[in-house]
Amino acid sequence: MKRRNKRIDLTKGEKELFKEFMPEDFIELSTYSVERRHFLKLVGLMGGGIFTMQFLSQHSIFAQDVNELTLYEMPTDVENVVKVTFKVNGAQKMLVIDSRMTLLDALRERLKLTGSKKGCDHGQCGACTVIVDGRRVLSCLTLAAACDRISVKTIEGIGRSEELHPIQAAFIKHDGFQCGYCTPGQICSAVALMQEAKNGEASYITNNIRSKALPIQLSDDEIRERMSGNICRCGAYPNIIAAIREVHTGKDGAQPWQYSS
Amino acid sequence: MREKHKIIGSPVSRIEGHLKVTGKAAYAAEFSFPHLMYGFPVQSTITAGEIKSIDVIAAERSPGVLKIITHHNALKLMPRPPVTHANRMTRSNPVLQNTRIHCFGQYIGLVVAETYEQARFAARLVKVSYKTERPKIDFDENLKDAYKPEILNAGHPTDTSWGDLESGLKQSAEILSETYNTPIEQHNPMEPHATIAFFEGERLTVYESTQILGTTKEAIANTFNIPKENIQVLAPFIGGGFGSKLQPREHLMLTVMAAKMLNRPVKTAITRQMMQTNVGLRQHNRQKVRIGTEKDGKLLALSHEIVTHTSVDEEFIEQSGAISRMMYEVPNSLVTHRVFTTNIQVPRWTRAPGETPGSFALESAMDEMAHRLKIDPIEFRTKNEPSVNPENKKPWASRSVIECMRMGAEKFGWNMRNSEPMSTRNGRWLVGYGMASASRGAPCREASARVKITNSNKNIRARIELAATDIGTGSYTIIAQVAAERLGLPVEKIKVIIGDSDLPPTPGSGGSWGAGTYTNAVDAVCEKAKNELLGKSKIKFVNEPGITELMKAAALNEYQTEGSVKPSEESEKYSHFSFGAHFAEVWVDESLGIVKIPRFTSAIAAGTILNEKTARSQIISGVVWGIGQALTEESVLDKRYGNYVTRTFADYHVPVNLDIGNIEVYFLHEEDKTINRLGVKGVGELGITSVAATIANAIFNATGKRIRDLPITPDKLLL
Repeated sequence: MKRRNKRIDLTKGEKELFKEFMPEDFIELSTYSVERRHFLKLVGLMGGGIFTMQFLSQHSIFAQDVNELTLYEMPTDVENVVKVTFKVNGAQKMLVIDSRMTLLDALRERLKLTGSKKGCDHGQCGACTVIVDGRRVLSCLTLAAACDRISVKTIEGIGRSEELHPIQAAFIKHDGFQCGYCTPGQICSAVALMQEAKNGEASYITNNIRSKALPIQLSDDEIRERMSGNICRCGAYPNIIAAIREVHTGKDGAQPWQYSS
Repeated sequence: MREKHKIIGSPVSRIEGHLKVTGKAAYAAEFSFPHLMYGFPVQSTITAGEIKSIDVIAAERSPGVLKIITHHNALKLMPRPPVTHANRMTRSNPVLQNTRIHCFGQYIGLVVAETYEQARFAARLVKVSYKTERPKIDFDENLKDAYKPEILNAGHPTDTSWGDLESGLKQSAEILSETYNTPIEQHNPMEPHATIAFFEGERLTVYESTQILGTTKEAIANTFNIPKENIQVLAPFIGGGFGSKLQPREHLMLTVMAAKMLNRPVKTAITRQMMQTNVGLRQHNRQKVRIGTEKDGKLLALSHEIVTHTSVDEEFIEQSGAISRMMYEVPNSLVTHRVFTTNIQVPRWTRAPGETPGSFALESAMDEMAHRLKIDPIEFRTKNEPSVNPENKKPWASRSVIECMRMGAEKFGWNMRNSEPMSTRNGRWLVGYGMASASRGAPCREASARVKITNSNKNIRARIELAATDIGTGSYTIIAQVAAERLGLPVEKIKVIIGDSDLPPTPGSGGSWGAGTYTNAVDAVCEKAKNELLGKSKIKFVNEPGITELMKAAALNEYQTEGSVKPSEESEKYSHFSFGAHFAEVWVDESLGIVKIPRFTSAIAAGTILNEKTARSQIISGVVWGIGQALTEESVLDKRYGNYVTRTFADYHVPVNLDIGNIEVYFLHEEDKTINRLGVKGVGELGITSVAATIANAIFNATGKRIRDLPITPDKLLL
């Protein structure tokens, strides 16, 4: 039985979540009361993007009896909770979390920043790559409890929807992805890689690791090596290299597809 | 000659690209719902036997646990009918109905908890005791039980023969008889399979990482005895499939069951380790190939005899010999498939099932024979080009394999090859060139679509809706391009809505039919809309009007129509395949056996190319898969216990960026007049076929070593 257009008030937990995420909107919420659907749209905006909104607006997903316990509240029977405060994409976040929770799950499940992907949960695929204090970090191998007072940048914080980061734009231009699941990690890696090159940091294939740290002009093989922590099962590697090379060198890359003549 | 296209074929960037590079594209596990619970499967730690008892007391007491579902308290599900070609994907898939264990890692329960951490932890507290049987795992040990199956995957016949193979071999001036082994491989798409399910009264909504929405819906309906109309399956984005997301899997049924039992939304995202044990694999194929030729290279006899394994639970056999039935003209042919059962999970379609392992054997053998005959491999293949499909005598709708070989050879610089092995060096590296020709069946299936046109303040827009999926192949973009072309609108004015089973049905993405099938329906429905509007118009047009003129002429602000298309009867009269030719340069470290592939060239003929950019990416993708197949990918099982030794990306090696060199792709202009309205043959699987043979042939040219067992790891080159 679908309940379309039915107005239901927010639960306590949802209100708190709202307060945590969108303090300005919360004033409006508490003053005027907000339809559950509007709330969901906002949640969708934060997490799932336009498709979430699209689908959520087609659904009134609430069952008849509304249980007060929601996942947005920390369930009361969690043992060993830890309180962490950290910055995500410039915004201060305070979370009470299960001590076993990884940074990746905190981002995805609690903050609804699902751009960071879980591909293996073992630090082998790179899909969860985020930038912590300027460096690439595998968020699936990082306990959220260890993130107190750090600053995290996720894919959602790279570029803006009106103005993409040059790496993001180059990934679209050069088709640096197919299914898109490894893409946020690839892009976070590529963005951090630019800085590593500027800092003159060596890689596994750098010839002279004793040379003074100066900005490095990366060869294709250097980029390949430095991007080898990010698996792409769709095999977009040549396109990823083309995208990064274009941004790194500042030279407009030729479009490589062709018909035989 | 077909009409000239303006938008179809052009390298339009993916229309959903913006969502993917900003992290806004939401995959199955990424939809949030209040009261969402987390499921975590409990897996069998034995491979064959019975569950004696399950103790869930400690797990149930663990904080946050809401339910532990095992065979003791599972919902009673519909019994599973015997598998047929027609019902394989849609038949009931009842989970947790009995105590029988038939493969390692089989799901024997689901823990449902408030958080992921709680569910995962509690799953480890479930204590299971088993009555263990000795599992059937080892290939050689179980080979003796091989039998002749009735039919292969996709309805391919088990055995075919014409002429008389033995007498053909006797007449031959040169005979080759070799055995090739391709190992177990895993799909490993980047997005692990995931499900979110919830009920609203009788109505079930499922977010599922699936390649096909319709069969997923049907399988749920058949398993839980729910009317299909009450089920909606949503999959706006899918993080790769490669065949592993064709079959509605057990985690989906577990999640739906939990959602029903607890009447709350449940999410189950399986782990990478479960991706090795629970979502299918490509089976180990042992393939004996015999070739007999005249002195000048004309084929007299060709046999391709395959033995492989399936599960004790279900018979599934990929058609590895199919390629040897259609690729070359030969008067005496024998192709057979035999299979034995094991306690290894049931194999599943894996990117180009059949062609991928089959082409390694056939195209390696062809290269070996060419070397013996001292004929150039391209010339040898050209000599044996069939004028019609040898298997069914149907004419080719289009077959440009010779053109592909010529074109590829020219672009690659094949004339620089020295046919004598070990003749080219670069420092410590031995350099070799290799080639192979490629083919893949090009199916087209029935599909439907809906178009909605709106005119708001003279701003004409179109919305195309169909229950298609985009698993990374580019469906969103090619659908928009075809609609834009047909309606006479720019791509930006087309909105593509797919990934929802409530939309007009399609057969989904798989078997290289997606692009041709989707665009066939979209092209037809756009034309239907135009014709219907033309019928409403009082104006007589001199030139063919676009949708803007038609909407004005009909004085409409909104128009909607829907339709479905079947493959034409004409198309049944022809054989439809995509073709290509691959060329590789390999470098082999003489003292370490390490293989590098600095460059790879593919020449491709696949009918109309809908989008040069995304089609090229598809071919590159296939080549990268083929490089993995050739050099690194292999699942290893412990023969004693049937568990997987290779359980993660740390030990199942898929190619990483540094493994891949330059890959060049060239498309040939080709016209296929019968396959579908636009002449699209599909490129999703063609790219992988024969890549492993190309590399093995190049390695032979570099080293003089012929490796017939994949993957070609350094140890095999140093022995």
